[in-house]
Amino acid sequence: MPDLLSLLSLGASGLGAARAAAATASQNLANANTPGYSRQRANLEAVLPAERVMGTYIGRGVTLGSVTQVRDRFLEAQLPAALAGAASSSAEASVLTSIATLDPANTSGLTPALSSFYSSLRALAQNPSDPSLRQAVVSSSQQLARTFNATSADLSSARAGADSSLQSELPNANTLAAQLADLNARVRTARAAGGEPNDLLDARQKAQDALVSLTGATIVTDQEGNANAQLPGGEFLVFAESAGTLSALPDPTNGGLVALQLTRTDGSGPVTLTSQPGGKLGGLIAGRDGALKTAQTQLDQLAFDLGSALNAVHQGGFALDGSTGRDLFTLGATSSGAAATISVNASVAANPSLLAAASTAAGVPGDATALNALVATETQTLSGGLTAESTLASLVSQYGSASGAAQAYSDHDGGVLQNLQTLRESTSGVSVDEELVELTKAQRGFEALSKVITTTDQMLQTLLALKS
Amino acid sequence: MRVTDSMIFDRANAGTARARSALDAAVEENSSGLRVQHPWDDPGAAGQLTSANLAADRYTAIGQAAGKASDELQAADGALGEVQNLVARARELAVQLSNGSYGAADRSAAAAEVDALIPQVIAQLNTKFGGRYLFGGNKDGADPFDAAGNYLGDTAVRQVEIAPGVLEAASVRADVAIKGVGGGTDVLAALQSLSAALKANNVAGVQGTLTTLAQGTEQISTARSGLGGSMAAFDAAVAATRSAHDREQTRVSHLADADPVESASKLALAQRALEASITAAAQGFQLTLLDKLK
Repeated sequence: MPDLLSLLSLGASGLGAARAAAATASQNLANANTPGYSRQRANLEAVLPAERVMGTYIGRGVTLGSVTQVRDRFLEAQLPAALAGAASSSAEASVLTSIATLDPANTSGLTPALSSFYSSLRALAQNPSDPSLRQAVVSSSQQLARTFNATSADLSSARAGADSSLQSELPNANTLAAQLADLNARVRTARAAGGEPNDLLDARQKAQDALVSLTGATIVTDQEGNANAQLPGGEFLVFAESAGTLSALPDPTNGGLVALQLTRTDGSGPVTLTSQPGGKLGGLIAGRDGALKTAQTQLDQLAFDLGSALNAVHQGGFALDGSTGRDLFTLGATSSGAAATISVNASVAANPSLLAAASTAAGVPGDATALNALVATETQTLSGGLTAESTLASLVSQYGSASGAAQAYSDHDGGVLQNLQTLRESTSGVSVDEELVELTKAQRGFEALSKVITTTDQMLQTLLALKS
Repeated sequence: MRVTDSMIFDRANAGTARARSALDAAVEENSSGLRVQHPWDDPGAAGQLTSANLAADRYTAIGQAAGKASDELQAADGALGEVQNLVARARELAVQLSNGSYGAADRSAAAAEVDALIPQVIAQLNTKFGGRYLFGGNKDGADPFDAAGNYLGDTAVRQVEIAPGVLEAASVRADVAIKGVGGGTDVLAALQSLSAALKANNVAGVQGTLTTLAQGTEQISTARSGLGGSMAAFDAAVAATRSAHDREQTRVSHLADADPVESASKLALAQRALEASITAAAQGFQLTLLDKLK
C-alpha cells in the first residue's frame, strides 16, 4: 500500500515536470524571433515501473524524458541546395542588372554614338571639302571611340564591383567555416556527455545554412555526427573540427580579377579551386565572368572589327594634302581590350583635313569616294558574320537575355527557398499562441500538483493527529 | 498548416516588399513612358531597338544629304539656265547680224555685247554653293573656268547616297555640258567665234556660229535634263527617307513605349495591391492570444 510520503514524492516529480514544461515553453517564447531556432518540446513520461498496490498498479509520478527539437529532416535536406541556388542566382542577377550602359534609351550609349558617326560621314560625303563637316566627323569619331571606352569601363567597373564583393565575402566564409568546425567539436563533446545539445545544433544549423548560402557547399554528415562542408569539386572547406581557408589571388589571365584558392583543412595548399563555388560567391563569379565578360569580349571584338574595317578603307583614301595610308582609329594588334583603348588617330584628330575622303590624290578635294566607302562599312559584315549594327543589337539582346534569365532564376529560386523556409518555419518555428497555451498548461499542472502536496500534507497531519 | 508568428511577419514583409516593388516598376513605367528601359525588360525588343534607332538616324542622315544635294543641283540648274539665256541672247545677235542689211558698225556693237556676255557665262559657270564650286567636278576649291574660258576642273561626277548603299549623280560634268568633251560643242569657243566674226564683219562667219550655238543650247538643255532627273531622285529620296524614318520611329515606339492605358491600369492595380497587402499585414498582427490572457 502506498504511503503518504510517496504521494508527496509523486507531487514533487509532477512539480518538476511542470517546471520543465514551463521552462521549455519560456525558452521557445524567448527565441520566437531567433533566426534558425527550432522549437523544443519537453517530453514528459510516466515514471516506471508503477507501484503494485493491493493487486493493482498505481503510478509513481512523472519525469522529464527529454527535451527534443521539432524538425523535419526531409525539408531540411532540401534547404541547402535551395539556399545555395537562391543566393547564387540573386547575386548574379544583382551583378548583371547593375549596369545602365547597354540600356536602349541610353542617350550617351553606343547606338547614338554609332549613329552620329555615320551621319557625320554622310554629311561630309555630300561636301567633302567643308572644314566644319570634317571637324564634325572628327568629333563624332572621337565620340564613338570615347563611348566604346566608357561602355567598356562601365562593364569593367561592374566586373570589378563583383570581384570586390567576392573578396569582401571571403572573410565571412572563413569565419563561418571556423564556426562550423568549432560547433562540430562542441556538439561532439556535448553528445559524449549525454543528451542532445539542441541549442548547439541550432547554432550549427544556422552556421551551416549561412556557409552553404555563401559557398554552395554540400553538407555531408559523417557517422560521428560532424557536419562537413564539401565545396563543388570535392574539396572540403570544413572537415570535422578543422576548417580550411578561402583566399583570393589575382588572375592575370582574367584581367587581374581574382581566382579563389583553398588552404585545405589539413593545412596543405593553398590550391586553386578547379571548380567554382556555388552560393553567393558562385553567383558573383558567374556574373563577373559570365554575361558581363561575354559582353565585354563582344564589345572588344566589335570595336576592333569596326575600327579595322574603317582603317582599311581610310588607309586607301587621300587626305586634303594628298597624303594617304593613314588610320582613322588607333587600335591594338588584337581585339583584346580594344574597346577600352580605341582612339582616333592623333594626327587626324589634330588636323581634320587629314581625313581621307578621296580615292585618288587627283580627286582631292571634292572626291567623296573614300567617304562613301567608309559609309559602306555600316553594312559590311565583320568577323562574326554580322554588321556592326547587328553585332551591337545582338550584344544588347544577348546581355538582356542573360540578365533576364538570371533575374528569372533569382525569382524562381527565391520562391523555392521561401516556400521551403515557410514549411520549415511551419514545422520548427515558434508559435507564441501555442507556447502561451503550453505555458498555461504547465502553470495549471503546477497549481494542481501543489494542491496534491497540500492535500497530502493535510492527510499526514490528520494521521498524526490520530496518534496524539 | 501550422502558422507561426514569424511566418505572419515574414509573409507581411515579403508581401509588402513584392507589392512595393511592383508599384515602383509601375511608377517608373508611367513616369518614363517606356516599357523597355533595360535590356532585360525585353531582350528581343532591346536588340531590335538598337537596329531601329540606327536605321531611323540613318534615314535622317541620308535625307539631309540628299536635300543638300538637291539644293546644289537646283543652284547648278539655275546657273546653267542663266548660261542658256546668255547663249540664247548671243544666238539672237548672230541670227540678227547674219542679215546682210547690217553694217560693220552694227556688228562691232554686237561684238561688244557678245564680249560682255562671255564673262557673264563664265561667272555663272564659276558659281559657288555651300562654299564650293559647282562645275569643277572634284576640283571644287577653285574657279573651274578661267577668264579665257579654259576648263580647269576634272571629269568627276559627285555621288551622293539616296538610299542605304545607293548613290546618285550629284553634279554635272561642265567639260561635257559647256566644253563639249566627247563630241559636243564648246559653247564658250562658239561665243568667242561669234565675237571674232562680228568684229571682222564676217557675215559668213557669223552665220557659221548659228549651228554651234544651237548645238550648245541643246547641249546645256541635255545637261539640265540630267540635273532635273538627279534632282527628282534626291527629292524623292528626301521624301522616302522621311517616310522610312517615321516608319522606324513608329517601330521604336511600338517596341519601347508603354501603352498609357495599360500603364495607368498597372499603376492603379499596383497601388491597390500594396494597400491590400499593408491592410492584410496589419490585420494579421492584431490577433494574438497574448491580448486575451490576463
